[in-house]
Amino acid sequence: MEQPSVPNAQPTAAERFIAFLDARVGLKEMQAKMLNEPVPGGSRWAYVFGSILLFLFLMQAVTGILLMFYYVPTADHAYASTQYIIHEVDYGWFLLSYHFWGSSAMAVCVVAHMSQVFLWGAYKPPRELLWVVGLALFGIVIGFGFTGYLLPWDQRAYWATTVGVEILDKTPVLGDFMARFLKGGPTPGQLTLSRFFVIHVMILPAALMVLAGLHLFLFRVASPAGPFKGTPDEIKAKTDYFFPRQIWKDIVGMAVVFASICGLTFWEPVVLLEEATPDPGDYHPEPEWYFLFYFQLLRFKMFSGEFGQLLGAVALPVAFMVLLVALPFFDKDPERNIFKRPVALISWIVVMVIMALFTVSAVINREFLD
Amino acid sequence: MQPKLKSRVRCTDREIGEVSKVVVDPLSHEISHIVVSMNGSGERQVAMGHVQAVAEDLVELRAPSSDIVALPPFKRDDFVTTHEVEISHLEDNLHVMPGEVLVPLPALEKDVKRRTFFMNFTNAIGFLIGLLMAFPILRYLMKPMYLPFDNAWLKVGNVGKIKQEDIGVQFEYKKKIKEAYMPEYEVMKNIWIVKATPALLEKVYKGKDIEFRDASGNALWTNKKEIPYVAFSGKCPHLGCGYKWRRHKTLGQVFLCPCHLSIFDASGKVLDGPAPRPLDALPMRMSADGEVEIIDMEFKAGTKSQVRII
Repeated sequence: MEQPSVPNAQPTAAERFIAFLDARVGLKEMQAKMLNEPVPGGSRWAYVFGSILLFLFLMQAVTGILLMFYYVPTADHAYASTQYIIHEVDYGWFLLSYHFWGSSAMAVCVVAHMSQVFLWGAYKPPRELLWVVGLALFGIVIGFGFTGYLLPWDQRAYWATTVGVEILDKTPVLGDFMARFLKGGPTPGQLTLSRFFVIHVMILPAALMVLAGLHLFLFRVASPAGPFKGTPDEIKAKTDYFFPRQIWKDIVGMAVVFASICGLTFWEPVVLLEEATPDPGDYHPEPEWYFLFYFQLLRFKMFSGEFGQLLGAVALPVAFMVLLVALPFFDKDPERNIFKRPVALISWIVVMVIMALFTVSAVINREFLD
Repeated sequence: MQPKLKSRVRCTDREIGEVSKVVVDPLSHEISHIVVSMNGSGERQVAMGHVQAVAEDLVELRAPSSDIVALPPFKRDDFVTTHEVEISHLEDNLHVMPGEVLVPLPALEKDVKRRTFFMNFTNAIGFLIGLLMAFPILRYLMKPMYLPFDNAWLKVGNVGKIKQEDIGVQFEYKKKIKEAYMPEYEVMKNIWIVKATPALLEKVYKGKDIEFRDASGNALWTNKKEIPYVAFSGKCPHLGCGYKWRRHKTLGQVFLCPCHLSIFDASGKVLDGPAPRPLDALPMRMSADGEVEIIDMEFKAGTKSQVRII
């Protein structure tokens, strides 16, 4: 682009300020490096989920910090302070519900992001570590969901935690220790709430920030994988930079997600159940919708009894995660086209169908309980 | 050999200038073009295909100078510098600098021996600091994990409200909790009491009284098999949810846990679902007018045998 030639134009104050910063920080070069990342084969809608997750996390951080202005993490005030946020504080219901639906959105986008990477074969060498760190981030997102919904200290919170910790307790040898460690005692109470609070607002955010930074760093070192078909020349011909086309798609994706969360916030704002107590009354304990498939799975006869529980509560999820971690280390075939990887495609479809079916059957089961 | 910056550029007929820039292919990371500065008359972008040979300070082209001059002028705005773009490892296999760029070591660093020793020593001290912190931190976090069992008797209600035999009846009661620094507070809990027919009693007791022992193994209480009431802990032995008394399509009246659908009959026996053991009978005593007291024990969920936790 031609510089407009205005003779003897004095730089404005804003321009001088930016020049001052740039000379000391190297802003322009940094900005150029951020934006000028080649996207092999060109921008795609399929690539938006990583950016959306970053956006979702930032919004969770903002709304979470705001909730802490009123929330009190004690067994005698957690419920009352959450009710206060919902009913008394201006827009408290909005921020709390946004935070709630934001966590659902994170669960959805994490699965979408992982699916995209899996289907595109982008986990394959040399991106093994990128994939492994991504799985750790997936674990952190689950941890956020699990620790987060104890905090309102209502019946849903109490029972989800009771069952969740009992599942952890089934781990051989260390299970009892880990469950007591997490609960801060033999049964859920104040110390459980304190621990979950610290994990939710300090430990997991710190871990997520470090690992997300590492994830981005590894992503930039490895460079984007690009499309799974096309010759190098075709890919090169379509390559563009991160800015503007991919950023445009990302920001549209973020806007859609933001609008969806706001919509859910208005139509389905968070409503607390009764205050937590070891007597469930008429309440049928049930986890958050994105854990329903696993909840339903534990109902199966094959996961009954002591051994069955070990299988369902520990062995199955651990084996699944180990398989995902090991994936790029044994799947070294450079073929990335998903239509030439029948085992990968079928496995993905099977996992998705099972999750969908189990979720639906858990919902159907509700009717038979009353 | 790669063309170097400042190298002279010679065509088949004459020298036309020097290499002012090189252009790198973002995918192969190889030099794809050189930019020739034509001694003050503009720059031309010349593909590596035109390059015949590369010597130390000289690039020889296989075209006459007229061909090169005829190329369109180099358009700088079609390119970014390597500082302005994020392509990792781009410069790894390039040697386009006119030579190595060196910075002298400070005088004090020139003959330092035992660098490895200092590195390891630094790591060892850091590790030691971590090690000294580890045990206090672990103990700090473990403080409230294990508590002595509470063997106090708790009033839960009067069996007078049970109108029918072999039916689960829920008794809700309040339990005072004193936890760590918190003021004492009450939580709602529940147990299920069944007024049992002799047949059902036999299924529960199988001919033997049920003995309860404290943590050190001393006898605490014995539920006599003749007493026609049985109290079950309200906690499902599968994963700790609260179960209910419900009508089942085929099994009749049963205890049903809504979480993972474990089903128990009125004697606590598992009829269906994932529960690994029957419902937990609690130590129970009753006054002459039917007031029931229990010891509020809880057992670990998910184990075949009973493991008491509170």
